[in-house]
Amino acid sequence: MLKASHLRKVFAATVAVDDVSFEIKRGEIFGLIGPNGAGKTTTIRMILNILEPDSGVIMYDGQPFSGLVQNTIGYLPEERGLYRKSKLLDTILYLAELRGMKRSHARAEALQWLKRFNLTDYRDRKVEELSKGNQQKIQFVIAAIHDPKLLILDEPFSGLDPVNQILFKDIFQELKQAGKGIVFSTHQMDQAEKLSDALCLINRGRVVLDGTVRNVKRQYGKNSVHLEFDGEGDFMKSLPGVHRAIMYENAAELELADGARARDLLGAINGRVEVRKFELLEPSLESIFIQIVGGPEVAARTREAI
Amino acid sequence: MMMEKAFAVAKWEYLEKVKSKAFIIGLFLTPALMVGMGVLPSIFASQEDKQTKVIGLIDPTGEVAGQLTRLMEDKYKLENGSPNYLMKVVAAGKGIDVDAAINEANMKTAADELEGYCLVSKSGSPDSVVEYRSKSVGDFRVSARLEETIRGIYQEKNALAHGLDPSLMRALNVKLDVKMVKLSKTGEKEEAGFETVFLSAYVFLMMLFMLIMISGQMLVRSILEEKSNRIVEVLVSSCSSTELMVGKVLGLSGLGFTQIGFWTLIGVAVTLQFGINIVTAGIAGLLIVYFVLGYLFYAAVFIGAGSPLTTEQEAQQVTSYLVILLIIPLALALPAMKDPGAMWLKILSFVPMLTPTMMALRIPIQMPSTGEIIGTIVLMVVSIYAAMVAAGRIFRIAILSTGKSPKIAEIIRWAIKG
Repeated sequence: MLKASHLRKVFAATVAVDDVSFEIKRGEIFGLIGPNGAGKTTTIRMILNILEPDSGVIMYDGQPFSGLVQNTIGYLPEERGLYRKSKLLDTILYLAELRGMKRSHARAEALQWLKRFNLTDYRDRKVEELSKGNQQKIQFVIAAIHDPKLLILDEPFSGLDPVNQILFKDIFQELKQAGKGIVFSTHQMDQAEKLSDALCLINRGRVVLDGTVRNVKRQYGKNSVHLEFDGEGDFMKSLPGVHRAIMYENAAELELADGARARDLLGAINGRVEVRKFELLEPSLESIFIQIVGGPEVAARTREAI
Repeated sequence: MMMEKAFAVAKWEYLEKVKSKAFIIGLFLTPALMVGMGVLPSIFASQEDKQTKVIGLIDPTGEVAGQLTRLMEDKYKLENGSPNYLMKVVAAGKGIDVDAAINEANMKTAADELEGYCLVSKSGSPDSVVEYRSKSVGDFRVSARLEETIRGIYQEKNALAHGLDPSLMRALNVKLDVKMVKLSKTGEKEEAGFETVFLSAYVFLMMLFMLIMISGQMLVRSILEEKSNRIVEVLVSSCSSTELMVGKVLGLSGLGFTQIGFWTLIGVAVTLQFGINIVTAGIAGLLIVYFVLGYLFYAAVFIGAGSPLTTEQEAQQVTSYLVILLIIPLALALPAMKDPGAMWLKILSFVPMLTPTMMALRIPIQMPSTGEIIGTIVLMVVSIYAAMVAAGRIFRIAILSTGKSPKIAEIIRWAIKG
């Protein structure tokens, strides 16, 4: 439903996006991932036709961008912001009208959504009276109210409590069932891993990894060990046969070097710590991400952070 | 461009702002301010003193002291009948130590024993010099009365010296008041004195000024808000930046007309109530044309200058620069009254930034020629078009840029190249 080919955007001296291509299919949740400053937002802005690419083509159902296409896209920006002094329902209706909705239709839809989010009582309140999480819900209503074919959500989960995160995920699944395309950007790998059908990892303006989540993981092989233990596990990162290690409190994800065997690793560990769980698995998206993007220095920083 | 979207923006801008405090305050404050500025100073100025003022006198000539003291006390009375001024001779007569007397009077004035003091420093016809020294020189009535009285004393002395009867002098004295009467194009007499013409020119300028200032500031503030909360991204992903800008200009124009309409109502009410006829319908119609042109032109200027800004402080700075541009004609109001046909007025009327205000100033004073009116209107239409195109180009780029405000050279490049 959306096909971007060879997008390139240069700001002054920096190449923000360079030769980025991807395709989003109907009924698919597409994760756009990458570290801060990788070019995610620029890419999103080009999809939204806010920015014009210097080169490259974006097609929407085989059509170039137009006013009609504009009305079939919904957008939730990263930094949530609404008119603080304006009333909730008024704001929603205004932005729905800008997407080409008739006011009466917009009103009916808005009330439905507010009910779903338990915000009916707030409809005549000012936006500034709402909590951050509730404002995020309103932003989502604004993105989805006109029943867009394509939803673009920039960091949709930021500021949401776990209960509302689940609510959002449920709604994403419904929209997916209804055949919508959903693009969401995040830097939280576990979320991208659980939610997306396909993904595209951007770093320094370039696509470094893309495809379905399953394919991506297959590509990186089953050479990871997930370990839970009691005791001091720091020695594991320097064991022979361990190519890269992500250490957690009483847990570790160890990536094996080529040719190294998991059995040997277990032998080397056993006895020095109390092993509670030892599992061979696909690498997590996070470890793939670190492997590609960060190299050893990011891995080191991740360990320090933990 | 889809007009429905521009109208949706216009409706939103209008309805949200018409409810805002800034707008409602401006709606009532402006006429109040204009009435205040027009009427209050003259009320204060013509207010009579409530208490007797003690005024010192130093007269090294010894020629006026006695008479001046008597005349000032007799001639000017307070409402309750006691003298308005009490003259206190600090030193008088030939051979007094003037410097010592000045010192003494200065000290007494500083200690508020004296309101001020009058120093006759040079006497004798034809030119005498009298100074009135006081902590506040704002009370021009004291100096005017002293001047009048002392002149009378000298005139009588001179008359006597030439062998004239002082009573004859008084009989010869004629009081004259020149009344200004404004003629319309057809030569008919209009009941408008200096004050009325000045006041109406001033009122229209103030109205145009307030109109542009209030809505210009609102425009800049709304763009700033949308930029800072990033809602502008949602807006320009829903409609084009041109639709957004057109909508904003339309919405704010609606706001402007609400204001003008309201003020016109007040104006009509005042006219009917007090029977002051400030302008004819023809003048009012022409003024509205320039109001609209000025409004649209400055809307473009505010968008172009305001959209690259990122903070409230910057916005205030930029608006204060624009205030200076708008306020120039206010400062020119008096010279323009003296010589409404002056070349410099005509030249300034063809500077697009000043055209609307200059014309609003000139029209009530003296109707400019038809050629000038057509010329300035054409000039404004062309300027508005050019300004809107340039503002649109700046707007398109600037609304998405956050962080540091761009340099002026960069903004100019946007305006030219798009």
